[in-house]
Amino acid sequence: MAAPVDKVDLQARRRAAKIIHEKFKGVLKDVLSGKPPRLIIPKRTLANTRFDPEKGILVMGEDVIERELLNMGEARRFMQTLLMASIIYQALIENEYPTIRDLYYRGKHTIVYRDLKGRLREENTWDEQSESDAVIRDVEVFTGLLREDMLILSKEKGKVVGRMKIRSGGDVIDLSKMGHGAYAIESTPDLIEFLEVDAEFVLVVEKDAVFQQLHRAKFWDKYKAILVTGAGQPDRATRRFVRRLNEELGLPIYILTDSDPYGWYIYSVFKVGSIQLSYESERLATPKARFLGVSMTDIFGYRSKKPYLSERERRNFIIKAKDVDIRRAKELMKYSWFQTPKWRRELRIFLQRKAKLEIEALASKGLRFLAEKYIPEKIETGDWTE
Amino acid sequence: MPRRRRDTATAKAVVAEAPPRGRRQRSKETYREISVAEFFAKNRELAGFSNPTRALYQTVRELVENALDATDTHSILPVISIRIAYDEELEAKYGNPKKWFRITVEDNGIGVPPTVIANAFGRVLFSSKYVIRQTRGMYGLGVKAAVLYGQMTAGRPVEVVSSMQESDYVYLRRLYIDVSKNEPKIVEKGQWRKKGRWHGTRVTITLEGDWPRARSRIIEYIKRTAVIAPYAEIYFETPDGEIYVFPRLTSKMPAPPKEAKPHPHGIDLDQMKMLIKRSNARTLLQLLSNELQSVGTIMARKFLEEIGLDPNLDPKKLDNDSLVKLVDSMKSYKFRAPKSDHLSPIGEELIKIGLKRMFKPEWVDALTRPPRAYQGHSFIVEVGIAYGGGIEARNEPLLLRYANKIPLLYEEREDVTYKVVSGINWKIYRVDFPAPLVVLVHIASTKIPYKGVGKESISEVPEIESEIRIAVQHVARKLRVYLGKKAREAEARRKIITISKYIPEIARSLAILSKPPTKWNPPSEKDEKILVDALVRLVSRNVEVPKVPGLDHSDPEKIVRSVIENIKLE
Repeated sequence: MAAPVDKVDLQARRRAAKIIHEKFKGVLKDVLSGKPPRLIIPKRTLANTRFDPEKGILVMGEDVIERELLNMGEARRFMQTLLMASIIYQALIENEYPTIRDLYYRGKHTIVYRDLKGRLREENTWDEQSESDAVIRDVEVFTGLLREDMLILSKEKGKVVGRMKIRSGGDVIDLSKMGHGAYAIESTPDLIEFLEVDAEFVLVVEKDAVFQQLHRAKFWDKYKAILVTGAGQPDRATRRFVRRLNEELGLPIYILTDSDPYGWYIYSVFKVGSIQLSYESERLATPKARFLGVSMTDIFGYRSKKPYLSERERRNFIIKAKDVDIRRAKELMKYSWFQTPKWRRELRIFLQRKAKLEIEALASKGLRFLAEKYIPEKIETGDWTE
Repeated sequence: MPRRRRDTATAKAVVAEAPPRGRRQRSKETYREISVAEFFAKNRELAGFSNPTRALYQTVRELVENALDATDTHSILPVISIRIAYDEELEAKYGNPKKWFRITVEDNGIGVPPTVIANAFGRVLFSSKYVIRQTRGMYGLGVKAAVLYGQMTAGRPVEVVSSMQESDYVYLRRLYIDVSKNEPKIVEKGQWRKKGRWHGTRVTITLEGDWPRARSRIIEYIKRTAVIAPYAEIYFETPDGEIYVFPRLTSKMPAPPKEAKPHPHGIDLDQMKMLIKRSNARTLLQLLSNELQSVGTIMARKFLEEIGLDPNLDPKKLDNDSLVKLVDSMKSYKFRAPKSDHLSPIGEELIKIGLKRMFKPEWVDALTRPPRAYQGHSFIVEVGIAYGGGIEARNEPLLLRYANKIPLLYEEREDVTYKVVSGINWKIYRVDFPAPLVVLVHIASTKIPYKGVGKESISEVPEIESEIRIAVQHVARKLRVYLGKKAREAEARRKIITISKYIPEIARSLAILSKPPTKWNPPSEKDEKILVDALVRLVSRNVEVPKVPGLDHSDPEKIVRSVIENIKLE
């Protein structure tokens, strides 16, 4: 595949390929000089994940694993890591955009070897895609390159509309002229160039349906905003895109989710990163992201703050929290980035009331209430949680 | 067939006739002396003849053991043939097909003197010389019990054909046992001049039996006999016409047991009385130092003086109290341990040969422990362990128990051997059940401490138990060494394969990764080959290379290459 490639793309490819080549030079040197080769890879475990309060994100600890070819338990993974790296490397050089599924198929073949009794035996380089996906993560942490950096595609999930123009793959796209649709945030968000920006903030909504409603109400136009959704648990590209909006354009990021522990965790993923994959946080997390709502105080009020919901609405809209919600909330209370006074108050109220609320409940009060009162009022009065 | 056995029971037994019920009848109880033969006829389960199944098994066993005693005990390489056949004559007579059997066992032993045949087969507890040594038989009633059982169920006499080595004649006797008199009743006699040099004995007993039920035990019994007598040639023909042949594997035989005098620790009051009766000793001193083992004149004098008996006393004039005192004191006095040359262990080599033939194991070893004694009886424990190969994996060890070379098949769980073997933590020895493990335990003794009258299990005598444990653990430790080595080799094989098989894949990947991103051109076959060679060198030099049959061990690279020779990189 030799598609015409633009400059940004080409630069990204060269950079990634060079890093991979350099990283594996050591293995090559060892093999040629007769020294048992090993890969030193940062440990991708929960135990090796910590919160860096200075950066405000989850980072990997210092623990590493040494993956040695001559260790029986590691030989297979050693082979897989080299195999995966070589496929990615070749794809970068040959201007391809493999998906993780492509990588799985390209690397999957059968090794037919002989045992010591002379019988032929078979083994696949990998069997399930989950196996090759794990190897991709190993290559990421070993090289320090994210899959986006290595131009590996995944399913597009995030969407964006708003008052800005971008360039992608050589085309200029006006995100304010998407009709009822939206621009799908591409798997390689670093190849996007920001052109003209006429927005004052970014609103990230958890739910695709709410995104569509706000989009049709031209919320982003009226309030000079960029509207983003990750459609549930955000993918890496959406998170990287949001991070860039914040970091490169200095736009404040407001996150709107359901009022429940699951919604709060989505906020947490945008803000500090995912606990399982802390190595990506460095480039994907947005430590300055703000939780706009829906907060417990929006529902129940607090001191002088009046609730957005009447007694009657509360009775109709509130859902009783389940045991699993309670457990999750208690889990969140342990995380240091949920230790601010405002978050502690949120979680305390939740555990007292054992009540949760879906954001659609606010929309059902009337879309105008959500778009023209609730959101702007909260932003204006600084009623967010950090 | 001269069986040299020790009398341990008096020749007569006294039983009470069942008294009529009622309080006043007590004084009218009458006692009648019955013959030993009659006693055993009425209590045949005591000798193992409780039902047609056991009777068939027990008869084969008695005859085979007699046959072996007549051969290997006298340094003759045994040739033994066993034939069980349906007796068609009786079938025609009584109906009940497949119920009547003729059991014929023939050996090439020393033969039975013609004058002795009648008593040897027709008088219960007929005794031979008063000595102690290890033989297979027990009280000298086994074969007679079989004869009795045969005549009681099938009504046929036992038929004995025998010739001694030095004799020119072959003798035939057909006889019953007169139960009330405990006497042989000969119904047919014959003798012929020998044409060849045959010697030995052929015994035929006809009886009621149950072949389908006895079948597996009898076959097992014969197999297990063959295991510890690999120097014997054994033929076995079943009523269904199956033939089992166990050829001789070695002409090496265990040394025959020597006769020995009783040891003072093992003697009881009755034996002492008999000893005095038969002995020519004029004084107590002579009696002790001449008739007992491990007792010299000095020792005897010291002992007698200590217990306050005059060494010059005529033993025949001892009163009962002194006799009890003598026997009782002897048991606790510190005499030298009993000698063991009257024991005949099988020996490590024969155990190994026998186990190898029967199980075709991948590993076998055996141990004969030094002689030990319990209560004045010497004994030797021998253990053989076989592992793997043709042995079927089971959830516990297959246990082969022997007492004085007799396989014990029944009452396994009652046996001290089972207690010891099942109590061993086999994991320590790298045996993980289910495992292909056979444990053979032989106890040779002048007196086997059987648990019950069935003589199928051995009591938990502490000295014996401890010897068995020591012996099993000793051989098991060798097994552990073997299994450890095997596991390490298997590990080495797994390792070399696990690593080697990835060499081509790694070489190709590295070849790609080694090409700089600028001025890219795909790696050539030569690039890959250089890396394959480097990796083969690396692996073969740094990983322990196992021994592989058919491959040159001096060139580990060849072994690595043999793993990957089939792999082609597309």
